Amino acid sequence: MNSSDNRFKRSQELFARAAQVIPWGIYGHASPVASLPGAFPYYAERAKGCQYWDVDGNEYIDYLCGYGPMILGHQHPAVEEAAARQQRDALCLNHPGPVMVDLAERLVSLIEFSAWAVFGKNGSDMTAWCMQVAREHTKRRKILKVADAYHGISPAWTPGHGGLIEEDRVHIHDFSWNDLESFDALVKRHRGDVAGVIMTPFHHPAFKASQMPAPGFWTHIESTCRKQGIVLILDDIRAGFRLHLRGSHKVFGFEPDLICFCKAIANGHALSAALGRKELRVAASKVFLTGSYWNSAPAMAASLACLEVMQREDTVATLKRTGEGFMSGLVEVARKHGYDMSASGPPALPFPTFDSDPDLRRQQRFCAEVTRRGALFHPHHNWFLSSAHQPAHIQATLAMADEALALMESEGI
Amino acid sequence: MTSIAPNPSVLSRLYLDAVLPCLTDLGDQDPTARAIMGNTRASIALRILGGPGALVRFDRGAIAWSHASNSWPSVTLLFFSRSHLNAFFAGATWAVPLPIWGGWRIGLLARFAKLAARLEAVLNGHTEVLASADGRRLYTRLSLIAAGLGLAPLAEGDAQAIAMLRTLPQGLAAFRIEGEPNSTVWFDHGAKRKASGWSDPPRRPDVCIVFGSLRLAYAAMRDEADTMAAIGAGEMTIDGLVPLADGLNVVMERLRIYLQP
Repeated sequence: MNSSDNRFKRSQELFARAAQVIPWGIYGHASPVASLPGAFPYYAERAKGCQYWDVDGNEYIDYLCGYGPMILGHQHPAVEEAAARQQRDALCLNHPGPVMVDLAERLVSLIEFSAWAVFGKNGSDMTAWCMQVAREHTKRRKILKVADAYHGISPAWTPGHGGLIEEDRVHIHDFSWNDLESFDALVKRHRGDVAGVIMTPFHHPAFKASQMPAPGFWTHIESTCRKQGIVLILDDIRAGFRLHLRGSHKVFGFEPDLICFCKAIANGHALSAALGRKELRVAASKVFLTGSYWNSAPAMAASLACLEVMQREDTVATLKRTGEGFMSGLVEVARKHGYDMSASGPPALPFPTFDSDPDLRRQQRFCAEVTRRGALFHPHHNWFLSSAHQPAHIQATLAMADEALALMESEGI
Repeated sequence: MTSIAPNPSVLSRLYLDAVLPCLTDLGDQDPTARAIMGNTRASIALRILGGPGALVRFDRGAIAWSHASNSWPSVTLLFFSRSHLNAFFAGATWAVPLPIWGGWRIGLLARFAKLAARLEAVLNGHTEVLASADGRRLYTRLSLIAAGLGLAPLAEGDAQAIAMLRTLPQGLAAFRIEGEPNSTVWFDHGAKRKASGWSDPPRRPDVCIVFGSLRLAYAAMRDEADTMAAIGAGEMTIDGLVPLADGLNVVMERLRIYLQP
């Protein structure tokens, strides 16, 4: 970390300590390697609404929202009160609480195709389990996925390289997003042996612009799965509840067989869920599922409160409106300084990128400059909006972007 | 981890195009190597029958490497197959090459054998080499050069490397060690052309990987460094197309499988 102006002094100190006792110092998606070493804060201390403060006291408008969970903003009073109330009774018991049943009923009523729900703590818990359910249901082996898609840290599809053996992925096959020929070819090649297809509702690979589904893409995938008896798994962990309260498939006109949620389901409390069709209920009952904290009730109470607020306040509409204004403003500011910028992805999870930037350096510099000015822009990962982002925050952010782009323009970047 | 076996053709290319070029830096940096060769002015060609080759020229302490040309070397050593050359470099006593020209230059061949042994000791990190700071520096430089130059042979013939490269964005990557002159190696991952070099890159790299110190580079070459933590601490930088650097690192690790002592 080489911040020349000492604005990350405490972050630096903490990282130096961390590097002694924690592999990577900070591992996973929050690692400095994935963002901008020296231009990003490493450690954060507190947050409220759509703002947070790093350990050096620098303030940011948050466009990552904890990498997705904070859909209502940090420290949402209704959610926090529900979680705290539940925790006053018990944190971690030997048994599930009534709230688990309440939440399962609530989700099953919300997700129209579903007949049952299970819970975990992370998205990876659910995607890996759904893969097994698909195999159990079909008695087949193959799982198809989109190249570059992220579905968690199972050896079947982790983006990491270490500790893997070839056998981990013998039955995992990639096709290209929006490329139905490559999908059909895989289905044909493995006809009768494809258990499941796991996909995100839109494609959001790291280091690349997001891609929306082409017209007819999803309906073709869905109809092929139906014809071939393949289980269609929607990984709605990242987009869930930001595009549609009843599942992102509602936006794109198809129905999966299994759906995975996490992130926005409980506004930051550790919870994930998988829901499925009635026909998969028996298979689901045969695939073992558990975890040390999976009965913990406060996150489930938080989820019920979060769902209630999202429905009452029509958070989906708010995010769409905010995101559309934000992205059109950003593209306009970029154009003013002579840059072509495209707002990829849906407005609630936007990822603006420069049109001619093959080595990503323009994107990296832009995000570094805006972050320095007080709005956290990730250069390599899609952004997230929350309902706490108000027009004033967007305007302030656009002013920061204007300054950053003016500087870049003056330097010929 | 993979069970994909090393490809003998790749291995011979690695010896000829990644390991032998290290002799140049060995001559530049290592008094022991210079002492071995003295004021020798000569050249030795290594050729595989019907296959590739390399030419090593000695000129009063300086050592230059090039692809085998049609010029007349002082000595030509012929290998009957890639496996023959691979066995020779692996130290098999039966795998002596056939000196089809210059076999009478016993002194030169003896010095070359000593020089090759010195190169092997450095690249394999023998204890006596790594005991000194100069030896560790030499090991680090040569390991990086071999790793960088090895990317092209791996990209062209190693099944695992090819599979990995298919997933990576195209672009030119450059690796260097801060404060070490002539330590830049590069690899051009183009749509059709895969090329690597030890020199200034032919154009602005799409990603630059810089080890901030010889100490870190040494640890990284020995697989003893947490490079992710080093990047976070600013001891190592990756500027530009990060996914290309990430993937090339995996390809470079294949080199260990091929060239393990």
